[in-house]
Amino acid sequence: MVLAIQAKNLKIGYMDEEEQITWATRGVDLSVEEGESFCIVGESGCGKSTLASAIAGVLPPHALTMGKLYIFNQLVINESERNYNGIRGKVVSLIPQNPGTSLNPFLTIGDHFYYILRDVKGLSKSDSIKIAQEYLSKVGLGKDVLEKYPHKLSGGMQQRVLIAIALASEVKIIVADEPTSSIDANLRAQILNLLSKLVKEFKVTLLLVTHDLASASKICDRIAVMYAGKVIETGLTSSIISKPRHPYTRMLLDSVPLLGSKKSLNPLPGEPPSLVEDFTWCSFRDRCPFRIEQCSVEPPLIPVEDEPHLVRCWRFREVS
Amino acid sequence: MTLPSLYSRIMRRNLRRTRFKIGVALTTIIVILSIIAPLIAPYPSEGYGYVPANASERKLLPPSTQFPFGTDALGRDLFSRVLTGTRTAVIQAVSVILISLLVGMIIGVCAAYFKGLIEVTLNYFTELFMAVPSIVIALFLRLTIGQGLHVVIISLVIAWWAWYSRIAYVYAKSIVELEYVTLAKLSGLSALKIIPRHVIRNIFQALTVQAISDLGSALLEASAINFMGLGLPPGSPEWGVILYEAITERGIEAFLFSPWLVVFPGLFIFMTTLGFSLIADPLREDLDPRLRRRWKLWF
Amino acid sequence: MPVSLNYIFKRTMLSILVILGVIVFSYLLLMLTPGDPAVKWAGNPRGPGAVKAIELARVELGLDKPLYVQIANFIYNFLTGNLGLSIAYKIPVSQVVISGFTATLELILFTYLFSIPLGVWLGLYSAIKRGSRIDSFIQSLSIVLASTPTFWLGSLILLASNTFTGFLPYGRVSSKLVLSTGFTPITGFYLLDSLIQGNIPVFIDALVRIIPPALAISVYPIGVLARVTRTLIAEALLEDYVRAAVAWGIKRETIIRQFVLRSIIPPVIQISGLSFVYSLVDAMVVETVVFGREGLGSILLDSLHKADFRVTLALAVYLTAFYIIVNTLVDIVQATIDPRIRL
Ligand SMILES: Nc1ncnc2c1ncn2[C@@H]1O[C@H](COP(=O)(O)OP(=O)(O)O)[C@@H](O)[C@H]1O
Ligand code: SF4
Ligand SMILES: [Mg+2]
Repeated sequence: MVLAIQAKNLKIGYMDEEEQITWATRGVDLSVEEGESFCIVGESGCGKSTLASAIAGVLPPHALTMGKLYIFNQLVINESERNYNGIRGKVVSLIPQNPGTSLNPFLTIGDHFYYILRDVKGLSKSDSIKIAQEYLSKVGLGKDVLEKYPHKLSGGMQQRVLIAIALASEVKIIVADEPTSSIDANLRAQILNLLSKLVKEFKVTLLLVTHDLASASKICDRIAVMYAGKVIETGLTSSIISKPRHPYTRMLLDSVPLLGSKKSLNPLPGEPPSLVEDFTWCSFRDRCPFRIEQCSVEPPLIPVEDEPHLVRCWRFREVS
Repeated sequence: MTLPSLYSRIMRRNLRRTRFKIGVALTTIIVILSIIAPLIAPYPSEGYGYVPANASERKLLPPSTQFPFGTDALGRDLFSRVLTGTRTAVIQAVSVILISLLVGMIIGVCAAYFKGLIEVTLNYFTELFMAVPSIVIALFLRLTIGQGLHVVIISLVIAWWAWYSRIAYVYAKSIVELEYVTLAKLSGLSALKIIPRHVIRNIFQALTVQAISDLGSALLEASAINFMGLGLPPGSPEWGVILYEAITERGIEAFLFSPWLVVFPGLFIFMTTLGFSLIADPLREDLDPRLRRRWKLWF
Repeated sequence: MPVSLNYIFKRTMLSILVILGVIVFSYLLLMLTPGDPAVKWAGNPRGPGAVKAIELARVELGLDKPLYVQIANFIYNFLTGNLGLSIAYKIPVSQVVISGFTATLELILFTYLFSIPLGVWLGLYSAIKRGSRIDSFIQSLSIVLASTPTFWLGSLILLASNTFTGFLPYGRVSSKLVLSTGFTPITGFYLLDSLIQGNIPVFIDALVRIIPPALAISVYPIGVLARVTRTLIAEALLEDYVRAAVAWGIKRETIIRQFVLRSIIPPVIQISGLSFVYSLVDAMVVETVVFGREGLGSILLDSLHKADFRVTLALAVYLTAFYIIVNTLVDIVQATIDPRIRL
């Protein structure tokens, strides 16, 4: 299997005006195989978007990086150096979080396709319009959309346009950062299903970021759960859902009515630790009902016997 | 936010910037000069426009050690005149901005707070006075109430308050919509209490920054009015007036042959304005939290 | 696609109301400031004809009638351009103002022709080079430019021109040249008129004489536009749609042109409109006193010396109206080019 995305001890921080650094990811190890749909799940602020931006090549200029990130074996983040030549739009594309603000209000939808296809593939205007129509019909939109300005479209339509845009340049990886967070709840499932169907059809690797374990479980092959800037559990979707080994994953599952276990876990109240100072203990310790002495040392990702399932908890055997 | 804490934060954040430092230095010098100018001017009475007894022997002398900036057409020491003008400059700029700020803030905030007919009327007047050109008002006042500092200040305030009213209105509008202001209203607190406590306090910083950055423009316009002969009478210790006299005495020849008459007073206007602007510039950027981030062309 | 007619209508109605308000305001100035309004309207006359002139002014203003009738009368006269003869020039007031207006407008339009592109370019360049030396140089430059007193700079330019080239750019055009070539103004914009008539010598002369005052006036718009553009670009670079465009592989040049620059056009137009009117005052200050040009500046000075209240009030109203019209147009243009405001 070819690895589409591989992160090794990836740390990303943001420096503020007072020169203080918030470490949004504190050492992420991740491998995504070509053609699979991979989900990153976690609560808000755990560093999902930061990771997604790093893969899509859109970290802001004040972000600091350490560790390594490979995209199809090309080293895009090498410690503090970042080089996305030949990656953005050619290998990886992005479905951004807010459809309303992610389309240029001064350009028609057709112009968006034209500039992308011209710059990425050197296509002419008429060719790019043809391709745009093709992909728009794949997402269920007519060609009348091409003439329209973004603000004329509903949120759902804008999100479909963004899916079509990401597919149109025939990239190998699509990063979708909470693509459904700002649209109506009843449309969410529809859009996610469409996305998952299309990535399978075009054999694109999907990296989906979401805080919603339920929808992740429906469309993803594998899941990584993040907490406080690290992956704390990763494995096949079925195995994560049926046998979560990390107390935090169990807690997430418990909050989903259909997926939760019968005897739900009672987490202690609390919040993820501050990401400004470094710490050596398990990041979930303050909220963990299972914590023991040993938890003052952060566990590594431990393989769960005979399954491709890793978990960052000393007591994973007792959790499920 | 209280004024001292605002001040110390501004200083802490900006004193690293060279341009801000230059601005603070220039402004400090000007303010100090405005206080002590009459004491250090070599010919204090000439600074106030009195023609010396021996005037006929020293008309239009170029700069020398005795007269660092030369002398004017009436034989007065230009250095003393320019130095004495510092105080007028500061008084003009500060009083125009302070009065405009006060009037504009009250009207803008009332428009936002009271809504309805009051809002419409006050906004109408704001719109109207934003369009009025100060220099024509100055001309009118000059023709009716004569010359003097009050002409400069009144005409500039008439032309200027509306800009603060507009800004205050826009900021206050977003604040009066907030829940706690509604709650305060419902709990029967009077407008006289709510407005200063909740509204003005929250828009104060933005307005102050705007006011500081307008000090320079106020000085430029005030000296332009004086330069046109619409404000202070001849002989007044004011830079625009000095330039006006230089030119009205003998037309452009006056400064073609005695350029010091033009160079020095203008240089002082420029330095003072520059000082104000250099201080205001980083403040304005600080006001926009998004711009505080380290943006750049990153792709 | 048509702009919302409703928006244009509302904006225009408000502007008309404001212009009416300015006329009323200027009348109240005449009435409420110290002194007999009739004496003021007659231009503080002295000598034998004074009593008669004042009586005439009293009738003209209708001072025996109630205030609201006077105001209505005044508004009517203003709108029909029937304000009587100027005290200083003895020709109709509206004619005086309009003739000065074209001269000053030519100067400002010429100034803005190069100031807007130059200012925007400086701002763009410094934003693109954010944090570099050239960025801080341009930032300092724009502050220095916007802080320079126009009339002082104008004097220095005149001085420099005289010292280094021996040429004194005084007046709008050489009167000798006008006589020898038989140049006759049509629109009042000399540059345009001389071109229409194919009168190249006059065109060159007028051009050479308009450049120095234009340079003096240009510092404010260039400085302001450079600073504002830089801020606008900073804001644009933080937009989600720019980030998305980068992720989609759109090239840097395309992003700057189609995503960043497009978004700053409406605010740049608006800032230009506001500073245009500021420059009008600047132009009035330098054009006559420093550069000896005819225009609103010379009218202002003549009104001062002859106590011409009629022209003064007309100037106040016309300039305010001009401001309002420019800014209304700017708003409408802005609405036309911003697809979000189109309805
Ligand atoms: N552009 C940014 N600048 C500074 N800090 C940021 C930025 N984006 C995110 N952060 C910080 O990084 C942390 C992780 O944020 P994010 O990656 O957006 O998490 P998530 O997407 O999981 O909610 C948060 O503490 C957030 O405040
Ligand atoms: S390592 Fe300890 S504290 Fe952390 S999740 Fe496991 S049991 Fe809880
Ligand atoms: Mg996020």
